[in-house]
Amino acid sequence: MTRVLRLALCLLLILSPGILLAQQRTVSGSVYDDTGATIPNVTIVLKGTSSKVSSNADGKFTISLPSETSVLVFHYVGMDTREITVNAGERTLRVDLKSNAKTLEQVVVVGYGTIKKSDLTGAVSTLKGSELNRTPASSVDQLLQGKIPGVQVIAPGGQPGSGATIRIRGSSSLNGSKDPLMVVDGYPWGDAGQLKQINPEDIESIEVLKDASSAAIYGSRGANGVIIVTTRKGVAGKPRISFSSLNTISSLSVKPDLWRDGADQAIYENEAALTGGTPAAELPYLGQVRSGVYFPSIAELRGLDPNKPQWPYNTDWQKLVYRNPFSQSYTLSADGGSENTKYSISGNYYKEEGLAIKNDYNKYTSRLNLEQKLTPAIVVGTNVVLAYTRNNGGGLGITRSRIFPAYDANGNYFRTSNTDYGNPLALANGLLNTTKTVDVLGTIYANIKLTSWLQFRTQLNSKFGNSVNDQYDPNGVSQRGFEAQGYGSIDNANYSELLNENYFTVNKTFGTIHTVNFVAGYSIQKTENRSSSLIGRQFVNDNLQNEDLSTAASKSITNGLSRFDLSSFYGRANYSLLNRYLFTLTARADGSTKFGANNKWAYFPSAAVAWKLNEENFIKSLNLFSELKLRASYGLTGNQGISPYQTLDRFGSARYFTGTGFQTGFGPGLAGSNNEQGLTIVGGLGNNSLKWETTRSLDLGVDLGIMDQRFTLTADYYVKNTKDLLRLKTIAPSAGYDQQWINDGEISNKGVELGLNANIIQGKDLSWTAGVNMSKNRNKVVAMGESTRIEVGTLYESVRQRINTFTIGQPMYSYFGYKSAGIIQTLQQGIAAGLTGADAQPGEIKYVDLNGDGVVNADDRTIIGNPNPDFTYSFNTSVKYKQFDFSLQLYGVQGIDVFDFAKMTPSRQILRWTPDNPSTEFPRANNSRGNRASDFYITDGSFLRIQNVTIGYNFKPNVIKGVKNLRLFLSGNNLYTFTKFNAGYDPEVGENGINEGGYPKTRAVSLGLNVGF
Amino acid sequence: MNYRNYIYSLLLVAIIGTSSCTKLDEKPYGLTNTGSFYKTAADAKSAVIYAYSILPEVGYYSRGYYIITELPTENLSQKGDAGVSNFELDQLRTTSTNSDLDNIWTYLYRGISRANAVIINVPGIENMSATDKNQIVGEGHFLRALHYFNLVRLFGEVPLRTETLADVSQIPAEKSPVSKVYDLIISDLKSAEELMLPAKNDEGRANKAAAQALLAKVYLQLASAKTSSSPKYEFVADASAMYDQAKIYAGKVINEQSNFVFTNNLPDIWNTEVYKKTASEHIFDAAVDRTGEIEGNYSKLTNMFLAGDRPMTILYDANNPASASINIGQGWGHFLTEAAHYNGYPTNDKRKSQLIVSTYVNDGKVYNLDIASSSRPFSRKFIDPLRIGDKTSCNSPVIRYSDILLVYAEASGPTADGYAAVNKVRSRAGLGILNPALGLQEFRDAVVLERSWELAFEGNRLFDLRRTNTMEKVLVQQYGKTITSGAYFFPIPQRELDTNPLMKP
Repeated sequence: MTRVLRLALCLLLILSPGILLAQQRTVSGSVYDDTGATIPNVTIVLKGTSSKVSSNADGKFTISLPSETSVLVFHYVGMDTREITVNAGERTLRVDLKSNAKTLEQVVVVGYGTIKKSDLTGAVSTLKGSELNRTPASSVDQLLQGKIPGVQVIAPGGQPGSGATIRIRGSSSLNGSKDPLMVVDGYPWGDAGQLKQINPEDIESIEVLKDASSAAIYGSRGANGVIIVTTRKGVAGKPRISFSSLNTISSLSVKPDLWRDGADQAIYENEAALTGGTPAAELPYLGQVRSGVYFPSIAELRGLDPNKPQWPYNTDWQKLVYRNPFSQSYTLSADGGSENTKYSISGNYYKEEGLAIKNDYNKYTSRLNLEQKLTPAIVVGTNVVLAYTRNNGGGLGITRSRIFPAYDANGNYFRTSNTDYGNPLALANGLLNTTKTVDVLGTIYANIKLTSWLQFRTQLNSKFGNSVNDQYDPNGVSQRGFEAQGYGSIDNANYSELLNENYFTVNKTFGTIHTVNFVAGYSIQKTENRSSSLIGRQFVNDNLQNEDLSTAASKSITNGLSRFDLSSFYGRANYSLLNRYLFTLTARADGSTKFGANNKWAYFPSAAVAWKLNEENFIKSLNLFSELKLRASYGLTGNQGISPYQTLDRFGSARYFTGTGFQTGFGPGLAGSNNEQGLTIVGGLGNNSLKWETTRSLDLGVDLGIMDQRFTLTADYYVKNTKDLLRLKTIAPSAGYDQQWINDGEISNKGVELGLNANIIQGKDLSWTAGVNMSKNRNKVVAMGESTRIEVGTLYESVRQRINTFTIGQPMYSYFGYKSAGIIQTLQQGIAAGLTGADAQPGEIKYVDLNGDGVVNADDRTIIGNPNPDFTYSFNTSVKYKQFDFSLQLYGVQGIDVFDFAKMTPSRQILRWTPDNPSTEFPRANNSRGNRASDFYITDGSFLRIQNVTIGYNFKPNVIKGVKNLRLFLSGNNLYTFTKFNAGYDPEVGENGINEGGYPKTRAVSLGLNVGF
Repeated sequence: MNYRNYIYSLLLVAIIGTSSCTKLDEKPYGLTNTGSFYKTAADAKSAVIYAYSILPEVGYYSRGYYIITELPTENLSQKGDAGVSNFELDQLRTTSTNSDLDNIWTYLYRGISRANAVIINVPGIENMSATDKNQIVGEGHFLRALHYFNLVRLFGEVPLRTETLADVSQIPAEKSPVSKVYDLIISDLKSAEELMLPAKNDEGRANKAAAQALLAKVYLQLASAKTSSSPKYEFVADASAMYDQAKIYAGKVINEQSNFVFTNNLPDIWNTEVYKKTASEHIFDAAVDRTGEIEGNYSKLTNMFLAGDRPMTILYDANNPASASINIGQGWGHFLTEAAHYNGYPTNDKRKSQLIVSTYVNDGKVYNLDIASSSRPFSRKFIDPLRIGDKTSCNSPVIRYSDILLVYAEASGPTADGYAAVNKVRSRAGLGILNPALGLQEFRDAVVLERSWELAFEGNRLFDLRRTNTMEKVLVQQYGKTITSGAYFFPIPQRELDTNPLMKP
């Protein structure tokens, strides 16, 4: 009975348009976007029917309508859907669609699905690809700096091809990975920080999942947050071809602080040697030959020696070693398709020259997104990315003495002794150091619409990459080349990964009250990393470089492979009641081979609620808020960021000479990397109970919008507590091992994030938007098992200690060392301070005897600084006036302590303590000082940077025939930095806060061109 | 929609779903562990090679051992920027945070862990000749004894570890009394002597004579420390019985074997191309070779001694102008010979003229090294004219024939045997015979002094001063040093105290 009824109903539905056709009229019109340009391929549906058309290439459409008043619905990706009432008799229409980038209708990509922004319950930030600064960037990571609240991007240095360090809501791991998970088009690629395979211009949007509710679906990889990158997809219609170019000229952004006068340097070095105990007759600059090289006297350098001519050399190393590098980027892309086939294809060539000569980075990337509708219910598609990079050379120093020439009389590189390997020109021209990488990333997928509300998606992802590093140090160019009498190497690394994801999605609304959305699925992932290294030492000559390592007298080989599997089940349920109360439950179970036999599976549940107050009548009646939403979430995420095999007992191997040759031994204790003194650190003790780190996080947020979302505010407060930290525990050395991986310890992060956006003016000719965001995070090491302090990072030979520590009650990486109280002025002062010997002499740094035992020794060290900023902030604004556009970004970091190892720059050395100049700021010259890590080196590294200024001009369509749009722009990056930091350096240093003078940053000015056909 | 789609996809889910539930066991690649090792004779040999390979590492005999044992004495000091730990040792004011002490402690126990692995695992290997097995297990005992002998002389009471580590519950271990440490050393060396063959082993590996020689040194340590009331040696019951044992075992080395012999020409003792290839004084060395790939395979110990100003050419025999000129390269001048030692040799002692470089030639110019400057005369014991860059073949001598001769002399006392042994060493050095009318203590003091010249820079002096209870007498009263801490035993490293719950300072 019911079946018959249903059949009848269907027939009626099918026939009804035919019935309506009888009284039709034709309406035509054009669709425009907010810049006034016409939009092709807009879907126009007659509401309540299946009758639909699309706008043509010129944005025009024609549709047949019934003669009475009707409603047309205009759909276009990235635009707000608009309903237009067409009154009886109306024949032509002009429809303006508004970009939904800032509106509530915007669809946001989340893990395994999408959701309307207004329905979000978790803390998710989103950024359009078009909002990224146009400046040379080998990876998109550094372009995220200052763009999203809660996302800290650290990009110290300007080495071509270098990535960035990304931290979402602080760091929460001691030894495991601290990098967020990077997901590209639904495929988890791995740690963020070096996304070189994706051309920033191909990016449609970037979503950042910050809280447990949004990240828990990535389970044991979600604790550091998740960054989702979505690339451009094709849309039906005529091909849209576009070309863009970016040509950039860069220059050093901070003037290096170098000796300007060789005589000043010589005086300083003589004084330092004399103070350091060198006999007066053996000082460096006395006009004597040392190791075959003539060292001039001070008088000679000054031109005051009556018997000698003025010293002829004054080498400007900065000029010889640095240049104004030129960089280029060209992208050609095409999007388009039909109702059934859609494609988006692009290719990019990128070349970045380094500031240092002979240093450059080249990249070729291409991408294809293709989707085919097989049946109305089945869509299949593929995404393919190919990337090739080549890097040559690296950084070079310019602090070499200007007293000596670059070349000797015979045209060879000048050396100050036969063990001098510091001539940067010799290094730049002599060393071979090239790295090539190839990456192939592919996805094939099928989406099956099982019913109107149930979908199944299966996808197969694979990733394959290879990198080869070629090095050759000729004999006599570098220390390594000298020691080995020619050192050549080839390092190979390749990885491969296979991932299969399968999940169901349910979208269903029951009446007008209940809407549900479910995702449930599973995945299995297999990863394999392989490496090998071939090293040859001692070559007959340098002719072949590393091309035939078999000719080396001594050869060594290493190789390794690590593999791990991850199996997962995951699910999410969204439930919306009355479109006011939103609930989300998420869970993932991860099984990883990396973990101990006792702990193979991990479970990560989370829950979130949100209340759309703006849908309540009592708020509606205020007529103030276009959005007012309160959000709360709580849940668990994990971190499995350790290498495979750490749970197993592993033997080490070593060689021993037994007269006729070396024999290889195996046994307990796996020597890891050597420490800085050449001493090995031994691990290899298994741990069957090793497991993931667990982060419990609470997020409370509010989304607020007024005046139809012209002014919006998003604020979040969060508390993250990470337990079971994966930690290399120091074990009693008498056990024969130094360390073992364990789960132990706790770190907390608390913070506030604020994002403010304003569309201040929204006119046809003039628009002005501005945004501010601010992030404040408080990090604290809560517990680390038996230890109250662990020293981490590099062991600095000059101060014979590590400087960064994890100390209970302090933020991660806090500096540990001595307090200082100016400069000792008299020996009595020095002795009274608890110092002895050379340390107590006038002119030395007065360290503080903190524990008051009368002696300054290692026990007087304490926490002397914190490299984590108090807060970071940024300001973005853009103005469009007719064809012109202008944008500005400021980025600031406030309240950060930098440990400035480079503090004693030449301009400060000139101000040193001497008996005649009793400085209270800078110590005397002394080349045998037992330096100590102290707050003498700590400098406030706060800064505010004019990160980017862009001025563009958009030509009118068809200014050149066939050119739909044409934009020319000038973009300046890293234009100026306001800071009180050491004048010779950029204040932005790595996560550990230590300034050792890395690859200098540049100021870049780019001329860009975008052409659309 | 089509119901078949449901069925197909559910089927797919089921299939892949089940396969994803497979075990998540790890199949490690390229890694060995107890489960897969110790199966064959080759594994046994490899196990003992691993145990030996700790010796020439940077933290042990290739640098660390010399820093620990030479700086506190009147032999060596260090360059200005050597770091606070070196200075603490040199100035006898060591603290538990001294990184050099931490290093040596760590390397000694790593050596013990590797030796334990041999002693415990090799006996169970089947299909291996008993002789080979015994030899290897004997070497394991020898190495363990050597490490503990170093430990007990450096630190005194230390944890005794004789098991391999299988579980973290084994980590806590308390200190054992000095007497117990010596019990293990002696029993290990007796096992080693019994198990090992008398035949000469490969370079850098021990044989029966090495065990006997070390045993002689151990007994002499016990005997002299008891006699001189050196701290913590009260437990030794009968010093004279210990002297007898020392004499017996030293006598076995001197009289009952010919693999290791007295070398008549001093520079030849230190000629790598001689001592590595013929019967020599080197009873047991930490072996290295300049063709190695990493430090520890080759040695950079040379650079610690050699002056750093310029490449140097010296005469092979400084007393013989007709001898060959050898190019010895250039070092770091890390160790500075102290005037106290340099000026302490008897007149005409060839060990000063032939085994300390006081003058060299560079580019035709003669340079004299001044004991008061920062570029001082340095030991010639660790030179390698065939060095490749910084890589040298200089073995680190652990037990040398002259050492055992002098052990024999000291144990024998002023007897004919004793005088013969010490005078053999003196006459090679160009010195006359020792005063034949010395009393027992005078004679032993004279032998210890002889050792200070004969074995200079070889890591014996500190132990000689400690066991004769003369740290204050020699270093403070004679040479004007100040001892603040660590005179007879160094403090146990802080890292051990912090991580071993049963360990008390």
